[in-house]
Amino acid sequence: MTRYLVQRLVGTIPVMLLVTLLVYGLLHLAPGDPASLLLPEDATDADIAEARARWGLDQPFAIQYLYFVGNAVQGNLGRSFRFAQPVTELIGSRLPATIELAFFAVLIAVLIAIPLGVFAGARPDSATDNVGTIFGLFGISMPNFWFGIMLILLFAGVLHWFPSAGRSEYGVAGQTVTGFYFIDSIITGNWAGVADAFKHVVLPAVTLGCALAGILMRITRSAVLEITREDYVLVARAKGLMNRVVLWRHVLRNALIPIVTVVGLELGTLLSGSIIVETVFAWPGVGNLLITGVTSRDYPLVTGIVLVYTVAFVAINLAIDAIYAVVDPRIRFQ
Amino acid sequence: MGKHARLLGLVASLTLFALGCQQAQPRPQGSSGAAASNTAGSGAAGSGAASNAAPASQASGGGTSSSGPTRVTIGVTETIESQNPYADSISLGYGIWCEVLGCLVTMDPQTNTYKPELAESWEVENPTTWVFHLRKDVKWQDGSPFTSADVVHSINRIRNDRDSKQKQNTAPLASVEATDDYTVRMTTKEPTASLLSYFADLLIITSKAQYDKFGPDQIDQQPPIGTGPYMFKELVPNQRLVIAKNPNWWGGKVDGPDEVVYRIMRETEVRVTALLNGEIQIAEFLPPHLVDRVNSAPNTKVVSTDSQEIMFLAMMPKTKPWDNKLVRQAVCYSIDRDGIIQGVLQGQGKRLDGPIGPASYAYNPNLQPRYTYDPAKAKQLLAEAGYPNGVDVDFYTPVGRYIQDKQSAEAMAAQMNAVGIRAKLMTPEWPTLWADVQAGRTPFYYMGRGSVNDPGPALSQYFETGVSPRIGYSNPQLDALFQKERASFDENARKQALSDEMSLITEEAPACFLWTINMLWGMAKNIDYAPRPDLRIFASDIRVH
Repeated sequence: MTRYLVQRLVGTIPVMLLVTLLVYGLLHLAPGDPASLLLPEDATDADIAEARARWGLDQPFAIQYLYFVGNAVQGNLGRSFRFAQPVTELIGSRLPATIELAFFAVLIAVLIAIPLGVFAGARPDSATDNVGTIFGLFGISMPNFWFGIMLILLFAGVLHWFPSAGRSEYGVAGQTVTGFYFIDSIITGNWAGVADAFKHVVLPAVTLGCALAGILMRITRSAVLEITREDYVLVARAKGLMNRVVLWRHVLRNALIPIVTVVGLELGTLLSGSIIVETVFAWPGVGNLLITGVTSRDYPLVTGIVLVYTVAFVAINLAIDAIYAVVDPRIRFQ
Repeated sequence: MGKHARLLGLVASLTLFALGCQQAQPRPQGSSGAAASNTAGSGAAGSGAASNAAPASQASGGGTSSSGPTRVTIGVTETIESQNPYADSISLGYGIWCEVLGCLVTMDPQTNTYKPELAESWEVENPTTWVFHLRKDVKWQDGSPFTSADVVHSINRIRNDRDSKQKQNTAPLASVEATDDYTVRMTTKEPTASLLSYFADLLIITSKAQYDKFGPDQIDQQPPIGTGPYMFKELVPNQRLVIAKNPNWWGGKVDGPDEVVYRIMRETEVRVTALLNGEIQIAEFLPPHLVDRVNSAPNTKVVSTDSQEIMFLAMMPKTKPWDNKLVRQAVCYSIDRDGIIQGVLQGQGKRLDGPIGPASYAYNPNLQPRYTYDPAKAKQLLAEAGYPNGVDVDFYTPVGRYIQDKQSAEAMAAQMNAVGIRAKLMTPEWPTLWADVQAGRTPFYYMGRGSVNDPGPALSQYFETGVSPRIGYSNPQLDALFQKERASFDENARKQALSDEMSLITEEAPACFLWTINMLWGMAKNIDYAPRPDLRIFASDIRVH
């Protein structure tokens, strides 16, 4: 297992090089000049030329890229043009918000989709199945920027259940320890902070989790449908086990492999989905940072974020591989 | 378990989930006394439905209370990410940092005159030398005295800080020196009568002692120490910046709210929803189509202000057919500005009869010549220019950069088409368009120029020979007027010189000046605040009833 993990990790090095080269190249190919975009409109041509030189933009592309890679290897992703701070610090300060949001999105998706998928798969063509299928279609086809705004209008605007945007309320949020608002509030005993964190995360997490829930429900349903036809399920039923036990212990356990795979794959999609959701909900995460980086052609920032996303994607896939072994003890890594 | 029972269970669990969410509704009264004490709230209640959960939320956000401090939360579109006041050049930042740290000079938007701030007076010693006399009763919030060394340090930092994006504010300066503790002498590269326009609400003064103590790497990690009416309290990047009254301000009692929270909310719908449910009390920049929604709510109102952003059509005379003045004038005659203001901008704009509007310095309501909407004249001019059968042109417009920009451009294209200027609308994304405009690669475009308070520098940037290639216009007569205007230190003489410049530009028409778009602000009814055309938000101007 360890050897397998090391092999996989080493294999990611060329992937990351390729990804950075691609992103760096595409950003340079895209029209628009960071200096002219980031300096105010009354900046003089001399100011713009000076900024270009300061940011190394007057160097040839190859030199800029090699310089970036050289620094990145040493853990230095450069200094953001837009935010005037080291990219690693910027990403580090925003990552907890994105992870927190993704965690709750997955949690919501799993809590809704798996029971729904199991019930739907156990009784195909029943009312439960129809409701579940409609829900699944709804989740998959809903554009999340629209869904997010609808949630804001309803739950913040009309019902006043949740705040319209942001991650915390001024005066409630306490001391920052880990950057994870929930964890920080719990370890500092700030229960108002926990409630505040919960209220702020619900709408963006539901928006983000909705698409995942839709897909997950469909996958669970079809996996359950398939497994209920297996002989061992028939045996379980024949020996008189309660339907509930058959479903949750025999069927679901065996359906978990495709479910875990999809959750893993979709976590990557979740990261990209969070870009839109974070913008709509003014959620101060990495996605929000990426949007600003792209619109201002902040080369170091965008490349740095994509690099972190790549690492996260690889890590998630590795973690999923490791989970396979837990879910299905027959799986061994060579 | 029967089929129906399972369905029922499903519905019940979803309902429970929703109820669980609802039970969390009362806003935490907070660990902070300030948050809790505001819960009495006043009239800031949002829409009618706000009677249950909202009072707590809006109270925590603002309004006033007979017992506790007042807090106003403003939904803003820009963001402040760094405690380095020079790292960005945005209206929001200038407003906040001028109020927290202090600025040398300010501009009174009512009278368009410069007023003392940290500099109590100034004089022009000779056309290239200015002397600023500083206030002697000012102390930094740590108790140390404010002196001329701080001003010199600040200008040096603006020019040398690796993250500075404000170098343009010191562009006219050749050198700066402190002649004594309270006097600063500045030398300009050439006579610059508009020098104060580079400084007013722009030249942020920071403490030299603080900088020397912490050094360039640590200074922006420290809580900023200022001299202004407000003090820095909290910055949560990409979420909010909070300031609180300075009880020891040199100017005496501060009349604004005790605390002001600038909350970053880029989405318009989110700002409006937050305003209506009382989470915020002021919302920046509403689009015209949401005005009715805010005005019809019982506790909110819309306040409109003139803009200093002039919208224009630029035509590069180095390219055909724009090399012909008659074609450029034909464009100006072909556009029904009043019609577009009413139809497309829903009445939220002011026609420009010249380069600037009434919100800018040296506005002359009698400026000549003027272009009326006259399609027949446009056709005639086009024929005289040698295009009796019309002419094909590419017309570039930004999309989503300015209010109703593409829609306005579509309307203008249709009107130009009607007189024979067959405009093909091009809509590149903003970074592409802006880079091309700045490099002089876009012959014909719709654009805005913001922050035109004193029009001198902005007009020079677009119309003086060799200053920028954005229009690439060159006219020795106009260049001479610019030189004269910059050397006119008498206010009336300078205003006359500016009027002469603007008349000539209007006549020659390298650009058609169209309109300014009113800035619309949503506010709770218990807030009294007149937004400034320069878009600075000074907390001390806000009143809570």
